[in-house]
Amino acid sequence: MKNLTKSITLILVLISLNSFAQNVNPKFSQAIKTGLDMVAAAKGGEDYLKAENYFERIAAVETKEWIPSYYSAYCNLYAGYNTASKELKDQYWDKALQEIDKANALSANNSEIYALKGALEFMKMSVDPRSRMYFMGNSAESLEKAIALNPENPRIYLIKGQDTFYTPEAFGGGKEKAKPILESAVAKFAIFKPVNTIEPNWGAESAKALLAQCK
Amino acid sequence: MQPIKLTLFFLFFFMFAKAQTKISGVLKTIKGTPVANANISLKNSYDGTSTDSTGRFAFITNETGAGLLQYSALNFEKDSVQINMGSGNITINLTIKEALNQLQTVSISAGSFIAGDGKKGAILSSLDIATIAGSRADIFAAMQTLPGAQTSFSESGLFVRGGTAAETKTYFDGMLVKSPFNATVPDQASRGRLSPFLFKGTSFSAGGYSAQYGQALSSALVLESTDLPEKTTTGISILSVGAGVDQNIRFKNSSITAGGYYYNLSPAYSLIKQQHDYTKPPEMLGGNFQYKLKTSETGMFKVYASYSRTQLALYSANIDTPAVPKYFSNHNLNIYINSTYKEYFGNRWKLETGFAYNKDRDAGLMTVNDYSRTDHLTEGKATLTKSFGQLSNFKFGAETFNTGRLESLNGLSRKYNDQISSGFAETDLFLTNKIVVRLGMRAEYSSYLQKYNLAPRTSLGLKTSVHSQLSFAYGRFYQNPEDEYLIIKPLGFEHADHYILKYEINTTDRNFRIEGYYKDYNRLTKISNGDPTNTGSGYAQGFELFWRDKKSIKNADYWLSYSFLDTKRDFRDFPMMATPTFAAKHTVSVVYKHFIESLHTQFGGTYSFASGRPYVNPNNPVYLADKTQTYNSLSLNVSYLTHVLKQFSVLYLNINNVPGFNQVYGYQYSANGLNRQPIVPAAKRDFLIGIMITIGDDTFVR
Repeated sequence: MKNLTKSITLILVLISLNSFAQNVNPKFSQAIKTGLDMVAAAKGGEDYLKAENYFERIAAVETKEWIPSYYSAYCNLYAGYNTASKELKDQYWDKALQEIDKANALSANNSEIYALKGALEFMKMSVDPRSRMYFMGNSAESLEKAIALNPENPRIYLIKGQDTFYTPEAFGGGKEKAKPILESAVAKFAIFKPVNTIEPNWGAESAKALLAQCK
Repeated sequence: MQPIKLTLFFLFFFMFAKAQTKISGVLKTIKGTPVANANISLKNSYDGTSTDSTGRFAFITNETGAGLLQYSALNFEKDSVQINMGSGNITINLTIKEALNQLQTVSISAGSFIAGDGKKGAILSSLDIATIAGSRADIFAAMQTLPGAQTSFSESGLFVRGGTAAETKTYFDGMLVKSPFNATVPDQASRGRLSPFLFKGTSFSAGGYSAQYGQALSSALVLESTDLPEKTTTGISILSVGAGVDQNIRFKNSSITAGGYYYNLSPAYSLIKQQHDYTKPPEMLGGNFQYKLKTSETGMFKVYASYSRTQLALYSANIDTPAVPKYFSNHNLNIYINSTYKEYFGNRWKLETGFAYNKDRDAGLMTVNDYSRTDHLTEGKATLTKSFGQLSNFKFGAETFNTGRLESLNGLSRKYNDQISSGFAETDLFLTNKIVVRLGMRAEYSSYLQKYNLAPRTSLGLKTSVHSQLSFAYGRFYQNPEDEYLIIKPLGFEHADHYILKYEINTTDRNFRIEGYYKDYNRLTKISNGDPTNTGSGYAQGFELFWRDKKSIKNADYWLSYSFLDTKRDFRDFPMMATPTFAAKHTVSVVYKHFIESLHTQFGGTYSFASGRPYVNPNNPVYLADKTQTYNSLSLNVSYLTHVLKQFSVLYLNINNVPGFNQVYGYQYSANGLNRQPIVPAAKRDFLIGIMITIGDDTFVR
């Protein structure tokens, strides 16, 4: 009887875990964690590309998970930051936008996905601002949507703060304007609790570092 | 507990006991170049790795049996190979095929100059066009800084490669615009009616254009309108010549834009001395309305409608009787409607339909004569495009125009009306990612001329390296004679054959192109004894250079155009073959823009040069043998970005012909040939100052 109770409890616990964290595939979450370690240890563009390949391999198997495609896009964003070639930047970010679309198709109305999309669109604009002003509108639209979906997502404010920080004052940017946005990012990071260990939880340090430069 | 432990033990044992396979090798291109950062993976498994800088890879997998080793890399086609795991290590050398990459893919380029936001092959953006010094946000003036176009200030329009202004046609979302210019003043160019801010793409083709575009002998200016505005904003512009306001209202899947403007040049003319003596300086009142609806994820419906009225009256010098200056007045009315619908459906099909209506009426007094002239155009068009392969497509369509003119002089009137129906088919065939062939055919029937024509068009693109391309185009182009001749009697189509050869090098920050051409004009309209016939002919040949550099000077951007033109025609009232008055042998433009961040200001300068143009001197027995002095112009503009009442604003100043160069376009001779007067610009120097305020947006671009 005791054993039976135990077994039933165990089964119940397992079921509840399953429904809570939807993807309790431990192999999957462990793989994502390994990938996040690769990202954390990345030192240059090549490392981000390797991590990107890694997430892509997971995405190819886990066709119902948005997270691997999200991180692939994230790695491509950073691979683009780490190259001086405008052509490569464009290619990495174009690929990232495709990956973001893939993630979006798997997880509709996800604030994190729209936030990253907004960041990518802004960077696409920055490659050739004069002829790509329309990306500005796309980026603003994506970030607005991210806010509407979850106003407490701190990464939106980090991305907005970054965009403002690096936009010349004459065009409505600058440190002064970026400061309050980054302050709210830092405040929101302080109380942010990720859904689980593999969902997006990046940016707190960048927000602090950038805010420090506003003073 | 014991059984569980045992199970776990067996599980681990089993896992470790599984045969491990090391898969290693090198990934290279077909030519043998190693491919770095490629993704090597095993299908249905997380296992895999990335190649290093020498294309090498190695990883260990626990999978056994048959499997698929996949490999992919940026700019390469994904590929795979069957392997069998579990029986020893695998060493495998892989080759990967290059994929069609946007940047490295050849394009149809001969003759054309694409300006557009985010467009492949775009050289200029819509913002570039709006901020060219001297162009004052006029699309046509901006196009004059590009190779192939003449600098013209005494006649409206674009004179391209030896062609008249009437041989350049303007298309708004694929639909012909019959009257794209503001009301005309004698011997002066007018601005274009359409604001550059309406468009996200501008493609200026100096020849060899697609079979989609008919009724243009020399050049096509193809304008593509913007999609939904991003947000609800109000734009206010206050200029030294008038003011305008427009309201953008953005809904979820649609938008409405309504605007109005009033321009009155009398304050400006009281300050800037004008060549003509105005009794009524130009006064213009107009409005426009736009509705855009996203009908689905890929569908778009657009309506643009505009209305404007202009009034002006002036006295111009009379060379024959200086005591009696010539009076001219004009009341102009212009209505333009353009509506298009676009949708993708089925297996890679695209449908585009359009409707356009244009009415332009001029009326007034010419010396003592009452005149009026009404031009009209109604057009319907439908195009179907089927995409196939990675980039190729086939399109076909039909269009019909109802066009004509009604004119009267002192109560006597005449008119003509024509229904031009046409069909076209065209394919862009990408044989590889380095070779593209366009084959097109256009057929037209004119009810007034009662004639058919058949125009073949072809274009070839050949990629010579990652950044360079060679292009060739041949095409035949037909056009109806101008309204002023057709109203006398029906004639035949005029036609021209274009041969174009172009070489270009394009990188993100720099563009270089050189293009040579030969054009053969036939059946041009010629007046003999007051009677128009199709007996004219002519040729044009030349080459053009273009260089743009956005990189070498920080925060600056400049481009240089040079055009060499050798042309002769026997048309209109010419007694013989001669170089027409609108053709300068050498034309140079330099456009420079510099943004100074600390001043929040962009400075721009445009320098234009043209060698002397021929003019008719009745005292010279050789027709059109005299040439004017060379033409020089230097224009400057300053845009200061600021806030007015906390709203983003641009303070704008433009000065044309800053050094006050003496500019002569030609001469008018008295009937007896003893006196002459130069044809000069409306004012020696001209300036425009204004402020544009945007409410509801924190960035300066609308």
